Amino acid sequence: MPIPQQLGRGDKMGRGPYEKSGMLRDTTLPPNRPVNETFEIPFPAEFTKQDGKSVTTILDYDMTVTVELLYMPFGVKDADTFTWQSVTKKVSIEKGGV
Amino acid sequence: MKVFRVIAVLAFLAMPCAFLMTGQNAYAAEAKKANSIDELAKMYDSSGCKDCHEEIYKEWSKSIHSRSIFGTGRTAATIMTTVKVGLTGWEHSGVKKPEDVQVKHLMLCAKCHLPQLAEATDNVAKEIVKYSYVYADPKATDEAREKAIEQLSKVNINCLICHQRNAITHKWADGTPAKDTVYGSKNGEHADPAHPKMKESKIMDESILCGQCHGLGPNFELEEPSQCATLYGSYLWAYTADGGQEKCQECHMKKSKLGHNMQSYRDPGMGKAAVDFKVETRGMQWRDGAKMVPQALVKVEMINRAGHSIPDG
Repeated sequence: MPIPQQLGRGDKMGRGPYEKSGMLRDTTLPPNRPVNETFEIPFPAEFTKQDGKSVTTILDYDMTVTVELLYMPFGVKDADTFTWQSVTKKVSIEKGGV
Repeated sequence: MKVFRVIAVLAFLAMPCAFLMTGQNAYAAEAKKANSIDELAKMYDSSGCKDCHEEIYKEWSKSIHSRSIFGTGRTAATIMTTVKVGLTGWEHSGVKKPEDVQVKHLMLCAKCHLPQLAEATDNVAKEIVKYSYVYADPKATDEAREKAIEQLSKVNINCLICHQRNAITHKWADGTPAKDTVYGSKNGEHADPAHPKMKESKIMDESILCGQCHGLGPNFELEEPSQCATLYGSYLWAYTADGGQEKCQECHMKKSKLGHNMQSYRDPGMGKAAVDFKVETRGMQWRDGAKMVPQALVKVEMINRAGHSIPDG
């Protein structure tokens, strides 16, 4: 969102339209320019040591990931939120290997 | 199989603010000012339009323009906050209590949400403030709150604001809007006895019509500048400056098929059309020294296809 400056001076964000004048920062999606986000989600696993070696025991090899694009007028998820996009994908980890 | 969900939250903190910005003194020469909400509603009564333009009127009735100082309730609450936190908190505003509010004070909001307030007395400003307080008061009775909503919904951005009052931005070049005329795409006679003339507006399908209200930044013409929308600024400097050629009306009225029910983020179709959303995933095991860490890599690419930044606020 455009982060408005309070009364057009200083480093404080203004909230209501009566005190907003200017902009401190802009985190909006700009028109026609790609914006990328990356997420790394750990699979459920247990990490132990056997004979001094690290052993990873994967508890589930499949994960369903749903990525939602939400429009939140109040900035919080449980207040008047609109789901614009939702994509679900299945992600798997290979069994076996070296 | 366990299901994990990641929510890519784009904190779209959009203030449901400005709808329309206007030259507030366009009708300064109006002989008699409205002295109540009811009088102002009568002065800008567009109910007769629906006799011939029924479908368009129905569309408009569903829009936020039709309740521009009530909004979803949040606009009315923000008017109250403007008085409670802003006006009464400022040493030099001249407002010590809600009853002190004059038209010039409320123009911080009304410049866009109700530009015709410039043609009303201070009593109308006080009435709007009174009902905004009632609406936002958790102790108000249901009856009182309903009455407040009803009164606040009587005045709005209706046919006569866009098709008359704000239909001409450059008055030295194109003249001042006439009270007996509606402005659209044609010249000629108009069947409405209250508005018997029809004239072409040079900006009816131009973005500047919307830009009067949908914001450049601080409203410096006010004694105390307010800032609500910045969309038109974004449209000019981040979209058209980069080669964008579409007009507000093309997306919000035509492609969306919403007509005069101009919507933005609340409409699922507008939301879907606004952003290209691509998700790629891959499972992999990252090696942290001797430790294998299984993880899902999720890459999201978003391209905003609107003619302005998203969100605004």
